[in-house]
Amino acid sequence: MRVPVWRRTTLSVVMIALALIMAVPLYYIVVNTFKTQAEMVASPLALPQQWTFENWGSTLADPGIYQSFGNTLYITVLGVLLQLLVGAMAAYAMLITSSRLARFAAAAMLLGFMIPGQSTLIPLYRTLVGLSLVDNLNGLVLMYLGGSIFCFFLIQGYMRTIPYEVIEAARVDGAGTFQVFWRIVLPLIRPILITVGVFQTMWVWNDFLLPTVFLSTPAKKTVVLEVYSAVSEFTTDWPAFMTVTVIALIPMVIFFVFTQRHIVSGLLAGSVKG
Amino acid sequence: MKSRLVRASAITAAAALGLGLASCSAGGDAEGVTTISFLSWTGEEQMQPVLDAFAEDHPEVKLEVSYAPPVAEYIQTLQTRVLSGTAPDVFLIAAENKTNLIDAGAVVDLSDEPFMEGVQEFNLDTYGRDGAQYGLSLSSWAAGYAYNEEMLAEVGYDAIPETWDEFLELLQALEDAGHTPFLESVDQMPTTVSAMIGAKSSGMDPSLDEQIFSGASTFEDEWSDVLEQYDRLYTEGLVSSDVVALDGDQVRDEFANERVAIINAGPWIINAVTEANPELQFSFAPVPGIEGGKPFQAGAASPGYAINAKSDEAKQEAAKTFLTWLASPEGVELFNQQTNDVTVTESFTPEVNPIFEPMVAPIRDGQLYLPMISWQRDEDVLNVEAVAQMQRMIQGQIEPEDVAAALDAKLSD
Amino acid sequence: MTSQLATRPAPPAGSVSAKPVTRRRSVEGGWKQIALNRAFLLPAVVVFVFLFIIPLAQSLYWSLTDFTGYSTEANFVGLANYAAIMADPSMLAGLSFTLVFAVGSTLVTTLIAIPLAVQLNKAFAGRSFVRSLWFFPAVPSMAILGLVWGYILSPLPSGVFNTLLNDWFGIDAISWLSDNTLAQGSVILVGVWAQTGWHAVLYVAYLQSIPAEYYEVAKIDGASSRQQFFGITLPLLTPAIVISTFLLLTAGLKVYELPFTLTGGGPGFTTYTITQSIVVSGVGQGRYGLASALAVLFTIAVAVIGFSQLKVASAIGKRFS
Repeated sequence: MRVPVWRRTTLSVVMIALALIMAVPLYYIVVNTFKTQAEMVASPLALPQQWTFENWGSTLADPGIYQSFGNTLYITVLGVLLQLLVGAMAAYAMLITSSRLARFAAAAMLLGFMIPGQSTLIPLYRTLVGLSLVDNLNGLVLMYLGGSIFCFFLIQGYMRTIPYEVIEAARVDGAGTFQVFWRIVLPLIRPILITVGVFQTMWVWNDFLLPTVFLSTPAKKTVVLEVYSAVSEFTTDWPAFMTVTVIALIPMVIFFVFTQRHIVSGLLAGSVKG
Repeated sequence: MKSRLVRASAITAAAALGLGLASCSAGGDAEGVTTISFLSWTGEEQMQPVLDAFAEDHPEVKLEVSYAPPVAEYIQTLQTRVLSGTAPDVFLIAAENKTNLIDAGAVVDLSDEPFMEGVQEFNLDTYGRDGAQYGLSLSSWAAGYAYNEEMLAEVGYDAIPETWDEFLELLQALEDAGHTPFLESVDQMPTTVSAMIGAKSSGMDPSLDEQIFSGASTFEDEWSDVLEQYDRLYTEGLVSSDVVALDGDQVRDEFANERVAIINAGPWIINAVTEANPELQFSFAPVPGIEGGKPFQAGAASPGYAINAKSDEAKQEAAKTFLTWLASPEGVELFNQQTNDVTVTESFTPEVNPIFEPMVAPIRDGQLYLPMISWQRDEDVLNVEAVAQMQRMIQGQIEPEDVAAALDAKLSD
Repeated sequence: MTSQLATRPAPPAGSVSAKPVTRRRSVEGGWKQIALNRAFLLPAVVVFVFLFIIPLAQSLYWSLTDFTGYSTEANFVGLANYAAIMADPSMLAGLSFTLVFAVGSTLVTTLIAIPLAVQLNKAFAGRSFVRSLWFFPAVPSMAILGLVWGYILSPLPSGVFNTLLNDWFGIDAISWLSDNTLAQGSVILVGVWAQTGWHAVLYVAYLQSIPAEYYEVAKIDGASSRQQFFGITLPLLTPAIVISTFLLLTAGLKVYELPFTLTGGGPGFTTYTITQSIVVSGVGQGRYGLASALAVLFTIAVAVIGFSQLKVASAIGKRFS
């Protein structure tokens, strides 16, 4: 298929222009991190008359932010990996079992999408108090396991693309159920694992509600909580707020750009490279 | 295998930033030292110097501090922890949670404590009930109008008039001179309405809200005239109904950029405005009075330091040591320096930006009113209803009496 | 081995209720094997019961009491909380905008995301850059996006949008957030802006699973690109549409932060949502019993809508595949 150069150029120009319009709010956030509060008030959209790096300097000079990054990284990596594991295991169970009970369980689990999070907060907090897991990073990881239902939903659809013969063949070679899962199935669904992993990483990394309620020691803060330290009762130091936001976003942007290829090939059943 | 994967990733995560994940658990206290936990309302940057000074003076009390941003997140966090029995030893009692905290028996009565003496009664009564006082509230805030002196001078005024009729004339003059006369954010209870109701209530005994909540009067009887006067801003075309979508920061920015002559505001706008526009000459004034009323200001006692009633005796004693220090001249001075709040203790006179000077005396005298704090129950439900209905009134969809009637209906639910 | 997978298009992933192929049954061996198979489902079931069912049951119990959320004492009040909800006009207002938002944002997002995905799937200079920009809005917290959009859509003449309209076209200031209809539209617009890129990425992934030969055959048959889109692309995208609209609809019904930060539910109650009611009455007002009743009703409503959507979408999907 040959697409004429002029058409590709037009497409480029149009798409880039559209995307830039979409990105105006992004520009707004980033440009204001280089202004003082005063300049942001005076002219929010203009380029800074005098670039100030004070917001960045003071944020990065605070040792607390690195600790928070560490905490967030720990919660995100552990939380997302466990979600994927639990979701993938359940999806695998659906693949190899045909019982009605299991199918009912799978359908029932969709309820997980429907319960408003705000209403489960107090019951969950009380349970975690009982387990002495409040104000504990691992307790928070446990809370994020709720995301495994989402993982299960997306993974189980993808798993149907695995040719049954592959599993059968492994069986004949004497592999146990667990080995088939670990050595055969997981590598085959790696693309979807990455796709869902990216989605869930965005959520866990940016979540605000659970850390505010479940963590209280300052040393256990996550990055998003740092963002909110610029908020006081009557006013907000927006340039500081935006600076920490941007700093918290940078790893996510890198992560997205890095995994973008996998997101795309992730949900694709492989037909292109065949 | 699972555990290896998990462990490996956890180690990578920690190693990547060279961080240990060992948490500092609150183990046994050293001899003679009591550890108490404290959930701060004031942000870390402002509060930490205050706490450091306390730690220097009182090595026998160790504070474990945590922070939650006000207002909603703070209330949510505290509620969850109170209910689960993990509430901190010292926390803040605020307008939004005082009824629930007192009802649940979660806070200690402090009325007989020596550190409460010399604190403005208005503040202590705000967080009290039936003679008991549960919160050590050290400061208050107030909001009125901020005005652009130059624009007012242009139409022949040197201050905000004291009566509402004259004020509306001023707005008309500003409008005729080609200025946007007035903007007031109505994403919350309007400053004007709070102040007018406050002026009315201050001349009543029993107070306006006592009468409404005891059933002796109704919102319709007490609020209708104020709402009618307030609505004149919109029916007489002096202010655009767009204000229903504005928040305080947007209104402040219009003012700083000299696009409006008068706004509703409190002391928190001063720094941002003077930094953004150093040339701007502006000042504060209370809200003008309607007929039979007087100029008044919206405002309230800041949340009060409260002690957890479920904490054991030793911790409560240590908590009292902390509160005693906070209320001392030294503690109050440091707090005033850090937060610029107008403090209300007798033993220390706060330093205030001269621009805000007209509002300081009423604050220190407790001449303040905010419906949500003065209401005796269902504060939040009524506030949400009042704001939404006033927005509809401003849009011209309902009449002022309908707003008051809707509040009566909510209250009787 | 991977190349064996190659030629299979992805099946409808959202159709949980689709019957598994019968031959799978042979995997199940003796009872030990069966037990082991079930064990794989166990962690998810534990998570589900622990994080969803128990809290839901707890809410169900509290919905029948006058629980305040502060002290553990609670008295049984029967269905009084449910009656109070039914009688409250502001709750109804919350319900109507929640539905408008959920349906509106789902439709508009889908209508933009699919053609966008088709374009993003083509090769052009700067494609990665464009994809990343579209994806960006899904990342930062809604609190900050609400603020930024508040400035952009400010009804004042100094608002970003109004300034541009005035400079370029001489149009007077438009009351984006202070007019009832426009405010609802604005909230939906921002919701669409925030989600479209994310969902387009999902569609891009599925687009790539459509074998190129289909298009080549169609071309030989002389099909126009419009015919190709409706004849090949759209039908083969149904699995993705099922998933994407399910996610959009359930997320839309649960929307909270966006209207809260952008309009605070105003003007009046026009952009007030159900979740905002739950939060305001549960957290702010210490009426946890009432909030729980609302949460229970809401869960049931979302479940009904969500499951019907899945059923309908899968049925449509099956007809095409």
